[in-house]
Amino acid sequence: MNANVWVLTFADAFSIATTLILATIGAILTERSGVINLGVEGILLMGAVTAFLVGDATGNVWLALLLPVAVGAVMALIHATLSITLRANQIVAGLALVIFGNGLSQFIGKPVEGKTRPVVIKALDLGPLTDLPIVGPIIFGHDPITYLTWVGAVVCSLCLNRTRPGLVLRATGDAPATVDAQGVSVARVRFVHTIIGGARMGLAGGWFMLARGTAWSQAATTNGIGWIALALVVFAAWRPLRAIAGAVLFGFTLQVPFTLQGQQINILPPEIVQMLPYLATLFVLVILSTPRARKLLGAPKMLGQPFVRDER
Amino acid sequence: MNIGNLRIELEPRLTSPKWLYVVVPVGSLLCAFIVGGVFLALTGHAPIGTFALLIDRGFTSTRGITNTLGTATPLICTGLAAAFAFRMNLFNIGEEGQMYLGMIGSAWAGIALAGHLPGFAAVPVVLMTGALTGALWVLVPAVLRAKMGTSEIVSTLLLNYVALNLVNYFIFGSRGFFRDPSTSFPQGRLIEESARLTSFGSTRTYPTVIIAVGLAVGLYWYMKRSNYGYETSVLADSPNTARYAGMNATKLTLSVLLFSGALAGLAGAMYVVGPAGKVDPGLLQVGLGYAGIVVAALARYNFMAVVLTAVLFAGLREGGASLQISTNPVPISIAVVLQGAVLLFALGGEVFRRNRLRVRRVQQTVSV
Repeated sequence: MNANVWVLTFADAFSIATTLILATIGAILTERSGVINLGVEGILLMGAVTAFLVGDATGNVWLALLLPVAVGAVMALIHATLSITLRANQIVAGLALVIFGNGLSQFIGKPVEGKTRPVVIKALDLGPLTDLPIVGPIIFGHDPITYLTWVGAVVCSLCLNRTRPGLVLRATGDAPATVDAQGVSVARVRFVHTIIGGARMGLAGGWFMLARGTAWSQAATTNGIGWIALALVVFAAWRPLRAIAGAVLFGFTLQVPFTLQGQQINILPPEIVQMLPYLATLFVLVILSTPRARKLLGAPKMLGQPFVRDER
Repeated sequence: MNIGNLRIELEPRLTSPKWLYVVVPVGSLLCAFIVGGVFLALTGHAPIGTFALLIDRGFTSTRGITNTLGTATPLICTGLAAAFAFRMNLFNIGEEGQMYLGMIGSAWAGIALAGHLPGFAAVPVVLMTGALTGALWVLVPAVLRAKMGTSEIVSTLLLNYVALNLVNYFIFGSRGFFRDPSTSFPQGRLIEESARLTSFGSTRTYPTVIIAVGLAVGLYWYMKRSNYGYETSVLADSPNTARYAGMNATKLTLSVLLFSGALAGLAGAMYVVGPAGKVDPGLLQVGLGYAGIVVAALARYNFMAVVLTAVLFAGLREGGASLQISTNPVPISIAVVLQGAVLLFALGGEVFRRNRLRVRRVQQTVSV
């Protein structure tokens, strides 16, 4: 087998990582404010089907990427209303969102099921940079959204750690009573970041459909990527920059089964190889739950706890 | 929350009036049908006619209700599995995968063991094996949760995808033990005749429905009366109290998750001794494991109520399936949309059962 195949595998890993980074940082922002949104998988599916339908109807790539953002924000708004205003169980609310998104994407996607994707996000041509050996395809062979995602992750990290709104966000997840005492509305901070998080997840789904998908099929589109993103949040220790590294790593495990299949390497049956990304994620979760690792991670202290002022 | 000079507050109720226990679920159901109706109308289907057909095919016709009870049988088990774990704040969302493993385990017993067993023992042994393999599938997440505190939510869910690929491997990817050797068409090998149950008359309801309902009643009674039921509920409410009282949290957590897995595995086994008779990839399309979570949440983790909500959801599914073959076919996924919407509304509605909505006029205060 030639080296070129592995270069392309790495290039694909970076590409898949875009979805993971978008979704994971969306979940990080949500969780940093103290809200846990397990509905990622449902939002990704809704984002994907929206992108497909809009692309099919208008033929415009950018419109097909914009509407999933809105859909993601609306779904996150449902979650925020249930878990912040109505103080429902956030775990169950998130699961409800997954089931709802799963059903609705299947329902509205039925007429276009099996149809090939209508529009494609084209990779940028960076001239000589793209033609470089090895580095060219891996780093310089992607589409604008991928680069925006990387820049976005850096910006998120800076905002979170170096600005006042970032400080308020971190404090809302760790000590909402303190934030409240400062006269800042805990509910507002949580609403805003849950919705921003959902918008990012919607974009993640839409981008995945248009850049990585081939045809719309509800069963084969996201395939558990939303859940892997949730595991990545823990892996990234709730820090946006680390999410990039984790996303590339997981992107690689997601891509390897396809590479092996494409190269007709049958060391293991394809069904077994397809289990590997999930088993790898599980393995990482196990490593991360050793007491030593846990000390280093630092989850938001009030994650999943509704804030009621009267109780303090 | 303030709107103008009105202040809207949620005030906790000390006791909830009985009528709210009925109004909230029924209201959620109605709201979900409205949402479903909007999407039906948007896609060019008549909402009322569609729902009327759905209710007829799912509940009110004789064939409809017996089909529904057949589907409800495994759904009651996955619902009980979710309710059993969720009420202890252990969020086992891997019922889907545990059910697949129950299917694999029971099919193994049905092929390898049933022939050597006396007739009366075959079905119970096959069912028990399915429950056992279901419990084994949750063993790793359960130990991780009990010993190291790893969140069981993501770990149980990830294993669903592993289980899905495992079933595909046994049927499509290999020509092994579980595959029918007599044909090149990929399908499961039938279990021994002695390990299969026959349905009631010409219906699709199997005697396993009695076991499922019996389990619900038994669990309801046992968790209310037994020491074990008491200890688990103390642990759920306050882990510190449980530890102080000398309860073994590790053991309780393990046992709850394993039993939950066993119930989900039993659902798969019931599918094998009943309609399927083999490892059948058709089960992968149905999503009874995920639906079990919704059923449990809607029943507010009450075991008796699980039976009712399971029948309701099975009816939505059966009705939904028959809509696909009408003149203007409606995708079966409308049933899943309705399920998700019911749960979202029920979660929101729960707040109004626990709290009272107060609207007060507030005077504008001038700070000095």
